[in-house]
This record gives sequence, C-alpha cells and structure tokens, in this order.
Amino acid sequence: MSEISRDTLMAYLDNELDAATRVKVEADAAAMAEVAAYARQSDAIRTLYAPVGAEPLPSHLDPHRLALQAQRRQWRAVAQAAMIVCVLGIGIAAGWLLRPSANAPALYDRLIADAVSAHTVYVAENRHAVEVASNDSEHLSTWLSNRLDTTLAMPDLSVQGLTFLGGRLLPAPAIPGGRAAQLMYENAAGERTTLYITPATGVGGPAYESVRLGTDQVLYWANTIFTCTIVGTGTPEQLQAIANAVFAQLSPGASPLYES
Amino acid sequence: MVDFLDELEKDVPALRRYARALTRNIDRADDLVQDTLERAIARRGLFRPRGPLRPWLFTILTNLHRNSRRSDRRRGETVDVATVELATSAPQPGHLALAELARAIETLPLDQKEALLLVTLEGLAYSEAAAILQIPTGTLMSRLGRARATLRQLTGGETQPHLRTVK
Repeated sequence: MSEISRDTLMAYLDNELDAATRVKVEADAAAMAEVAAYARQSDAIRTLYAPVGAEPLPSHLDPHRLALQAQRRQWRAVAQAAMIVCVLGIGIAAGWLLRPSANAPALYDRLIADAVSAHTVYVAENRHAVEVASNDSEHLSTWLSNRLDTTLAMPDLSVQGLTFLGGRLLPAPAIPGGRAAQLMYENAAGERTTLYITPATGVGGPAYESVRLGTDQVLYWANTIFTCTIVGTGTPEQLQAIANAVFAQLSPGASPLYES
Repeated sequence: MVDFLDELEKDVPALRRYARALTRNIDRADDLVQDTLERAIARRGLFRPRGPLRPWLFTILTNLHRNSRRSDRRRGETVDVATVELATSAPQPGHLALAELARAIETLPLDQKEALLLVTLEGLAYSEAAAILQIPTGTLMSRLGRARATLRQLTGGETQPHLRTVK
C-alpha cells in the first residue's frame, strides 16, 4: 500500500495539491490506481446528476419572475400598511372627534372655575383691582376686542346698581385663543361683581349654568359668540338680572357688533 | 438589478442539481431552489457578497435544506427512499450501477453527503465547500474521505469497470 495518505490522494483528485506534491503522487503507481478509483466514483456521481443541470428551467424558478413577484408582494405589503395607517388614522380622528362628551362639560366647567379664581384674586385688590380703569373704557374695549379677536363692548350695568370699575386681560389656557377678559363692577355697598368673558369658539356645553361656590354665586351663559361667567355676592335672581342686561347689550339684535 | 438576476439565472441549473442530489425528490428539490432564489432576491441588498454568487447560493440552499429536514423530523415525516425516482431513468450501460450508487449516497449521513456533493458534483474548491458548510477544511476533508470510502464499500469495492463507460 502507498505511503501517501488518503487526504493527499483526494486532494490530488480534487486539484487541491501544489505542483511538487502532484509530481510525488504521480510517481507512485499504487497511489495513482487509488486516484483512478476515486475518479471513477466522482465521474459516476456527476453522471448520475448531470441530466438535472441540463433540464430546461421551469418558469417558476426564473429569477426575473421571482423578483417581479417579490416586488408585487412588497407593494401589496406597502399598500396594506398604508391602508392600516389610514384606517387607524380615521379611527383615531373619529375617536378624537367623538371623544366622550364628558370632556366638553369639563371645558365650560374650567371656564367657570377660572372665572371664580380670577374673581377671588382681584376683587380683594384695592389699587390694582383692574388693569385699565373705567375712565379709559374706550381704550379698554378696543384693547380687549383685539386680544380676544372679537368685538367686545363694555356693558353698562348702572340699572342693576353696579358701577363699572374697569377690566383686565387674563390667560385662559383651556380655550382656543387662550385669552379671557375680566370686567369688574361694584355696587353701592362696595360688593364687587365680575364678568369673565371669552369667545365661544369650541367651548360647547350648556347655555346656562348656575352654581354657588362658597360665598359666591356664579352664573354662566354662552351664546354663539361669547361665554360669560358672572361671579358675585348677589342672589341667583340678581345675577340673572345682570345676565339679562349683559346679554341684551352684547346680543346680536341690539348691537351692530354681531352682524356678520 | 438585472445583472444580478441574470447572474442568478446562470446558477439555477447547478442549484437544482445539488438540491436534487440532496433530496432525491424533484418537487422538494425545486421547492428548495425556489426558496433559495427568493431569499437571495430579498437579501441581495444586505448580504450579497462581492465575489461570485454561487457559493452564497449554495450556503442558503444548504441551510434551508437543513432547516426543512429539522422541521420534517419534528413533524415525523420521512422521505421514502424506495419511491424516489432516479435522476437518470433511460436504460443505459451502467444504469444499475448508477442506481446502486444513488442508493449508497442516500445512506450517507447528511454532513458527509453535503461535503461529497459540493466537491465532486459541483466541483467546488475545498475552501469554498468548507466555508459553505461552516467547517474547517480539515473537517471537510475527513467527511469527504469517509463518504468516498463508504461509497466504494457499498458499490462493490475497488474495481467498477462498468462505471468507466459512463461519461
């Protein structure tokens, strides 16, 4: 038997040997006989499966066709994803638009709460109760109208026994526009009443709401243009009378302000 | 892109041949080739090697075949060797010997069969075949040696003059 290892014989057969080793193998007759036997076996294996490689290519194995199909699948997937995004978007939008109406009352509730807070803070002030005093009411009206982006007159409540003190601009983060006007009035006894006015855009909720918070009586009303929260120490009936007067003076029929 | 597909197309016959020899079943082999091509097309951007495609394709096919065998075994399916057709069916000299050889290859463990087919049938260099099978070249050679020795034993030892006529 040859001294040349099986691995070397195989490497010779498979063309993996360097020239020098090849010469050595070729010089060994026994080794070459082994190589020939391996070669016959390899030939036989190739003969066995060669016809497969010569078969015509079935169309479902054509890479061009497969690539096209993959592309179509990809587009379908993209289209599907887009569809899902659309449906989700519509769902979310619908969910937002039709969100529980519990949220809407919260907005006017917050306006009422803000009105009461502002009332509590500023009626206690003497020198700084208002930002712009009533003697400059024309300027006050123009200024607040500009800031609230709507035309706002200063209601005259002298019939109800209230003297106009003046007003100020307040933040109202809950509503679009984010601003509110506070107008302050005082009766003969020095008791103060405030009107907290915002544009009505996007507020919703009830047209009237009457609540009592501590010592303060609160009356909220809204029409299509304004919301107005009246906070004062009077009875609900007294506040209602004030509200009627304010409403009459700010209402569309009585003033050219609301022509649109 | 077109170049890539053309190049791919040139390798399909070799892939089919290797797959057929691995599975000895036309449908399974072609399914395997189709899966291989689809995977290659899907991954061309990410994994396409710089060199020739063929070794990469053989790697994909080998792995897919191993996976499918693994899942077949999990499902308890077995390939019925007796019903599997021979690739060559025309009567010719040495046909019986070839059938015998095919059956002998079938009995080899998969790792030996892979090594044998990549080197003898597909003519890959040891280093390429070893890379495809993710084994050292030494391991490849020992598998190859064992496969060849077993086949010689099963197909009648040293002398098989009738096989010589088949080219």
